[in-house]
Amino acid sequence: MNPCLRGIPFRFETLSKNAVEEPVRLKEKHGGKVTAILFGNYKGIQVMKEAYAMGVDEGFVITGYQEGNVALTARVLAAKISQIPHDIVLLGNQSADSMSGLLGGKISAILGLPYVSNALKLEASGQKITVESAGEAENMKVEADLPAVVSVSQEINEPRFPPVMQIIQAGRKKMNVEQAQIRVESGIKVLSRLAPKSERKKVIFDDMDKGAQEIAKVIKEVTK
Amino acid sequence: MKFLVFSDSLDVSKQILSFLNGKGETRLLSPREDNSLRGYGASEIVLLKGSLTIDSVSEFILKEFAGSFDYLIIASTSLGRDIAGYISEKMNVTVAHEVFSIAFKDGKIVTKRFDLGGKVVIEEESSAKIVTVLPGISEGTPSGSNSPVRVVEIPAGKVRVVSVEPKKGKEVDLEKASIIVSVGRGLGKKEGLQQIEPFAKKIGAEIAGSRPVCLDYHWLSEDRQVGYSGRKVRPKIYLALGISGQIQHIAGMRDSKIVIAVNKDKNAPIFQECDYGIVGDLYTAVQKISSYL
Repeated sequence: MNPCLRGIPFRFETLSKNAVEEPVRLKEKHGGKVTAILFGNYKGIQVMKEAYAMGVDEGFVITGYQEGNVALTARVLAAKISQIPHDIVLLGNQSADSMSGLLGGKISAILGLPYVSNALKLEASGQKITVESAGEAENMKVEADLPAVVSVSQEINEPRFPPVMQIIQAGRKKMNVEQAQIRVESGIKVLSRLAPKSERKKVIFDDMDKGAQEIAKVIKEVTK
Repeated sequence: MKFLVFSDSLDVSKQILSFLNGKGETRLLSPREDNSLRGYGASEIVLLKGSLTIDSVSEFILKEFAGSFDYLIIASTSLGRDIAGYISEKMNVTVAHEVFSIAFKDGKIVTKRFDLGGKVVIEEESSAKIVTVLPGISEGTPSGSNSPVRVVEIPAGKVRVVSVEPKKGKEVDLEKASIIVSVGRGLGKKEGLQQIEPFAKKIGAEIAGSRPVCLDYHWLSEDRQVGYSGRKVRPKIYLALGISGQIQHIAGMRDSKIVIAVNKDKNAPIFQECDYGIVGDLYTAVQKISSYL
């Protein structure tokens, strides 16, 4: 009863685009180099080409991703990050599939770097960053010394649509593809994986008047 | 069992405390000061003040947890998820993340969560010590307790707080609304809201919206967004007007008691997730329903 995922296209998720857009903008302003790391499978190569077209200078596609094993993802990414010179490590604040939102905290703990999350705005000057970070009831303006880890919110920027020439050039650019070398037990056993149940009545009216009468009755019942 | 709870959402604090009530001893760590938290059965409430950044709060929780508790239960908010990630690496323990159901069984836990953006429910058994919990784990019923409060000053960590600004436009509390009128792209234009508002007022409903309406078009403020990445609501009636019913939206309103949908497209997925539906123009439907009230 597992969901069938064969043949479905993989997508460059919005938050990851935000996380690519931001350093590309920083590079355009301050200079520097943007390196992207993708932990997934071979289909990630296509996504990395899109990242190249957006302005990424060098990309690493690491294969061996395991669904639901966030600890593995964090350690594979942290190991790669530590091999690459960096001032700022950026990622989205939650992935679109499992949405664990754990990666930023995990990576910062492994690397021992200051971590600022859910960034609405990011400014870099000298050896520090200033970030507006969105919280539950309040927004915080914080500062951290570099290197630092920053997770971005969707509101931080509008990711660019790269021009055709850049897309063509991106296809020719060298890409690094490697296999993850780290093993981590997830400590989790999947018992079942099913579509959520719906026990709704599903009484659908094509007749507007009849439907409106019935719905008004339901609303009156609740509000009386 | 002994539970350490961290939550920077008042509602979720109450829901978690009420869920854990009777399962063991519970200590709540809360950066939010609110006297009403004392009535939900916590053995103790620790009010966190000072540097409320991810690393400084995490380091405090690590010390508090060590050797004294069985589980660390964390509300799935932005800060909560960050702290869960940080602490799980420092302690080298598994996190059961984004769960909406927990059962404790012989030293293991069985949890349920959504995956693939809400299309799938995964049930898992794990040795997790940390659990991040979605809003709605329980109704959040007061137990009549009067928990003692201790205040702790958290020392600064690696990240310096420059200023703190309370969020604007947070006047709406969708999680508590008993009726919600929610609008989607089918509204067509922002001005359309003027025809929905009187109706919502008439039935005592709060207005909410889908992701495109709140985040892309800004017809409504961000805090009114219902969905997987927005608010998770459970009103008595959820009226979806011009919302197609993508799975990400359903994930935010699935626990509503009665779902009513109006949509022009009879094949819209929302009709698979509603109790009553009208195929047709939402403005006409609102007028008609209103005339029968």
